Amino acid sequence: MAVHCSETSGQAKLEFALRIPFPSEREARIALQSLSPDREPRRGGIGKEMRAADNVLSVTWAADEARILRVSVGSFMDHLALVLETMEEFGPPAAP
Amino acid sequence: LTQQSTAPRRTPWPAMTVVIGFEGSANKIGVGIVRDGVVLSNPRRTYITPPGQGFLPSETARHHRGVVLTVLKEALQQAGLTPADIDCVAYTKGPGMGAPLVTVAIVARTVAQLWRKPLLGVNHCIGHIEMGRLITGATNPTVLYVSGGNTQVIAYSERRYRIFGETIDIAVGNCLDRFARVIKISNDPSPGYNIEQMAKKSSRFVELPYTVKGMDVSFSGILSFVEEMAHKLLGSGECSAEDLCFSLQETVFAMLVEITERAMAHCGSQEVMIVGGVGCNLRLQEMMGVMCAERGARLFATDERFCIDNGAMIAQAGWEMFRSGQVTELKDSWITQRFRTDEVEVTWRD
Repeated sequence: MAVHCSETSGQAKLEFALRIPFPSEREARIALQSLSPDREPRRGGIGKEMRAADNVLSVTWAADEARILRVSVGSFMDHLALVLETMEEFGPPAAP
Repeated sequence: LTQQSTAPRRTPWPAMTVVIGFEGSANKIGVGIVRDGVVLSNPRRTYITPPGQGFLPSETARHHRGVVLTVLKEALQQAGLTPADIDCVAYTKGPGMGAPLVTVAIVARTVAQLWRKPLLGVNHCIGHIEMGRLITGATNPTVLYVSGGNTQVIAYSERRYRIFGETIDIAVGNCLDRFARVIKISNDPSPGYNIEQMAKKSSRFVELPYTVKGMDVSFSGILSFVEEMAHKLLGSGECSAEDLCFSLQETVFAMLVEITERAMAHCGSQEVMIVGGVGCNLRLQEMMGVMCAERGARLFATDERFCIDNGAMIAQAGWEMFRSGQVTELKDSWITQRFRTDEVEVTWRD
């Protein structure tokens, strides 16, 4: 499962990739669906793609400028930490 | 006037419906739980900035991130419920500040998935209106919605909350908050509350611009005027800070009462309900009350527990929406900084 979070414009120069392992496939998917609905606030200049495969959430960025990339990655890390804390406090996922 | 109703007001439903609501569109973060018209819990925290400073999106989001899980735990504990008792997870979709909205939405999406419950994105303004209707029992009021981010006169007609009048620039609460910053009034518990207390100590009216334009109001010119005059008048001793608080309140509240009365005349309405953070100002309630008495109309207002942003208001609007069959798919659960009250189809009223 993969979600494109924004469009890349022109030739992207800088790339960043993260792989986050979760205890299970279900949790990786929950994180994906909690973190992917909101678009990048900035229009253009940055592209972000998220996917969950098995128990791993993978995120890749491609941006024109380091500054824009840093802001986006920084904000993602804050949000990811919040998802992980929420899972710790209110998980594990309920049985179907 | 501010009594909590204890009986469900709606048609019977096979089982009780419990909705948890997450609110964090501005500097308050709240989580509330509502079960069929009864508020079971409604804890809240406020991000308070030093005098002279407003709250900025990223700092406000950081505040919310730091306390949201504690507030959520409190909400469940105070309600005496476990996640299994919840039927639906509601959160504020907008309008509001982007970063704080995202922070709270992320927690709502995560718990909805962990607990396997449906998610529901709620319009913040609709939350205020539905909370006001629940608490006051007003059936079909003309609504004055006044806060730090919004100023609207609203009436219900044919499945929409229609905006009859609104600010053409800044919200009335924003005008008050920024005036408070100019003369360094404390933001604790809120600038508006402190202005209200200071205004009680004066009865000397300094004339300020009065800007009603048809059904709409404007506050930016008044703010510029007092910003410029404040230091001059205070420095020369021509008037006191209390006099300015008093005069500003009298001026902006008179404008709000005027457009509310005009909307009532237009709709033939005999009820007024004040919602939003500025709505807990007793002087505004008093001035509105005088107008209502002259027209033989009834005034409904709530206190700071429900006027000021809170989680239960999102739960209550979510309860109405959920019971009328609405849910929000995860992929559609993005937040939006702009989200007008009249964009929402009111599927839960005739």
